[in-house]
Amino acid sequence: MIKLYDYELSGNCYKLRLLMSFLGLEHEAEPIDFYPGNQHKSPEFRQINPLGQLPVIDDEGLVLRDAQAILVYLASKYDTSENWYPSSDPAILGQVSQWLAFADGITTTASAARLHDAMFYTQIDVDVARAGANKLFRILDEHLYFAELDGQDWICPGDHPTIADIACFPYIMLSEEGGVSRMDYPAIRRWTDRFKRIPGFVVMSGVFPAGPAVEKEAERAA
Amino acid sequence: MTTDLQRNWYPIASSSDLPKRHVYQAQLLGREFAVWRADDGNVNVWENRCLHRGVRLSIGINDGHELKCQYHGWRYANRTAGCTYIPAHPADAPARTICNNTYPTQEAYGLVWTGEEATGDVPALDGFADATVLRPIPLNATTDMVSEALVGYKWNESCLGFANADGSVTVSDSNGVSIRFFIQPTDSHRSVIRGIVNSSLSGDARKDALKRHSWLLQELRDQVEAAASQKEMPAPYEPVIARVAEDLVNIPAIREDGPAADLRVTVAEKEMTADDILKVRFESIKGGLPTFQPGAHIDVHLQNGLIRQYSLTNGPGETDHYTIGVKRDPNSRGGSVAIHDDVKKGDVLAISAPRNNFPLRRDAVHTILIAGGIGVTPMIAMARALNVQGLSFEFHYFVQGESHIAFSQEISEFENAISYHMGLSPEETGKKLGEVLSEPGHARHVYVCGPGPMLDATRKTAADQGWADACVHFEYFKNENEVDDSGSFEIDLARSALTLTVNDGQSILEVLRDNGINMPSSCELGACGTCQCGVIEGDVLHQDVYLTDEEKAANKSIMTCVSRAKSKRLILDI
Repeated sequence: MIKLYDYELSGNCYKLRLLMSFLGLEHEAEPIDFYPGNQHKSPEFRQINPLGQLPVIDDEGLVLRDAQAILVYLASKYDTSENWYPSSDPAILGQVSQWLAFADGITTTASAARLHDAMFYTQIDVDVARAGANKLFRILDEHLYFAELDGQDWICPGDHPTIADIACFPYIMLSEEGGVSRMDYPAIRRWTDRFKRIPGFVVMSGVFPAGPAVEKEAERAA
Repeated sequence: MTTDLQRNWYPIASSSDLPKRHVYQAQLLGREFAVWRADDGNVNVWENRCLHRGVRLSIGINDGHELKCQYHGWRYANRTAGCTYIPAHPADAPARTICNNTYPTQEAYGLVWTGEEATGDVPALDGFADATVLRPIPLNATTDMVSEALVGYKWNESCLGFANADGSVTVSDSNGVSIRFFIQPTDSHRSVIRGIVNSSLSGDARKDALKRHSWLLQELRDQVEAAASQKEMPAPYEPVIARVAEDLVNIPAIREDGPAADLRVTVAEKEMTADDILKVRFESIKGGLPTFQPGAHIDVHLQNGLIRQYSLTNGPGETDHYTIGVKRDPNSRGGSVAIHDDVKKGDVLAISAPRNNFPLRRDAVHTILIAGGIGVTPMIAMARALNVQGLSFEFHYFVQGESHIAFSQEISEFENAISYHMGLSPEETGKKLGEVLSEPGHARHVYVCGPGPMLDATRKTAADQGWADACVHFEYFKNENEVDDSGSFEIDLARSALTLTVNDGQSILEVLRDNGINMPSSCELGACGTCQCGVIEGDVLHQDVYLTDEEKAANKSIMTCVSRAKSKRLILDI
């Protein structure tokens, strides 16, 4: 079984929990005390990941670090429909990769601001982190506004969400914990509603579920 | 204090920002709003906080009819913003005063407008009847700085801009293209540019225009923000959030005695929904209608002076009207016949605000609704609420025959849950009830409304088959018991420090009224529960059909319209 070195409040670990839930993949979690225990910097953990970062997976002996890399690996290996990582279409693949890199930028800004506010990472310049997050959110909001105009629900073209959506979602959804409001990003806010309605969606602390969409409100009476 | 700015209408969203089942977050002059469109198209602009713990409602759930807070699940109705359900008090109807602040709202020119104290209509814009709404651009700068920059906005060399008296900016080119820019003052130092173009573009032309202006306006934004960052920005607005509703702050006016009829409504529709059953739709003459919950009834004051109670059949979020069902009663004392024969479409009637003495729990694992004949009306409202929330329920409708089935249109919303039991004899009805009630269990609840004998049978069957009293909820149309009003006794009013005598032939309610004590009432027959009063000491002769046997035995409350004292004296909590 896949082992996930996990921290409950980590948005990067949440990305993997999301994908595994969407794919119906079972996993076992090995909790790492990131805060306040700082266990990810311990000598024991640095033998698993010399960068001293979460998440890490161990899939039958293959040890991988970096949330985006693990998304690529899990989707390629376990999603036979190729919906989540459409690797046969170079144009889509390029766009997915582009937004995976963008998600890394969200981590270094929005997630950093959250670490500062919620987990006392006082060495982080929170103003710089927030400004950086807002700059990225402006770009994504415009992208999603024009995607909607083309009838496209997700970050990349196609009828199905991709791992790019998963990679961007957690630290956007948690941004208010770092003092970054999403009020100015209505297209992002609508996209997060759609994301939460993907079958198999799970929450984490600080992320609330969405209500049913219009078309889903069918016959439900007993 | 109201300022001129608060009297203005401002656009706070594009209409396309409000898809169904979404909650949009907005801010105007520092005040935050939760904005949501119900499935009936109505746009709600509310204070962005739950009345319970102040959590933002913009993270809540729009179920198409109500907005639910994420924190403790308080639900608020479309349009009225009144609280309809509190999960921590599942057996109670929330007080009508639990109502969020709502703000004036209009949708025009593809934009959603509001203003804290705005009145009248959104200003008419000549030449923008067919408009294209540009992508809104939020920016960190004062409206003055934004206005100044927009006057110089150019998409080609011929562009000429000027500021309008209302604070908006118009830019036109020599080809007849004109854009009106509204500047939403989000806060003292934050704004949103909302532009509309004077023609209805479509397809690629629309997309090109939207992209072009999104780009140009973002360029303008970056310049304005760079300038703003060099300047001292004004302090943020500090909007005052009203803590409680005004009618709680002010002492209410002294009310006339008797059943209150605070509302004036018109009969908007009147049609037969089944043999002998009339469906009547009331709409408000002025302003909105108060919030109702499933199970609620209203008093209808008829032109002939009679007052009658009718349950609302409305579904959740249907807050722009009240609909009732009225059966022509051959033994009518004048109420049902008057509505059938004399009330006409367009008539104005006085009604009371809804009262809910038959609240619906929404924490049941499974709910069984049982309706007999015209008793279907409160059940319709309950079924619609359960259905919208996706809660498990079944609906048993005992009815004479197919032509007697009322509210088929409403029933079609929950077709899978309904079973019709047609033309059964009393014995067959009893047997069927036995089957329906065969499985009591944890968090299973029964609600029943119908003719007296059927209610009695349902309650007896339920009790015999092991249902707890607290899980069987009922509402009688009327009290068919003979009421004994003989004998005299004293009542001590603990809060009012008064001792009064109720004489032979008088009711407690009458004596209270004669002595200037205001007591709400409705049916005055011991059926509706409105004139309930707490009992501190003394034995009560219960003659109502509202309280359960358990409640009657507890001797803690009394229906003052019909019940009396067994003892010489009653001490009442009033």
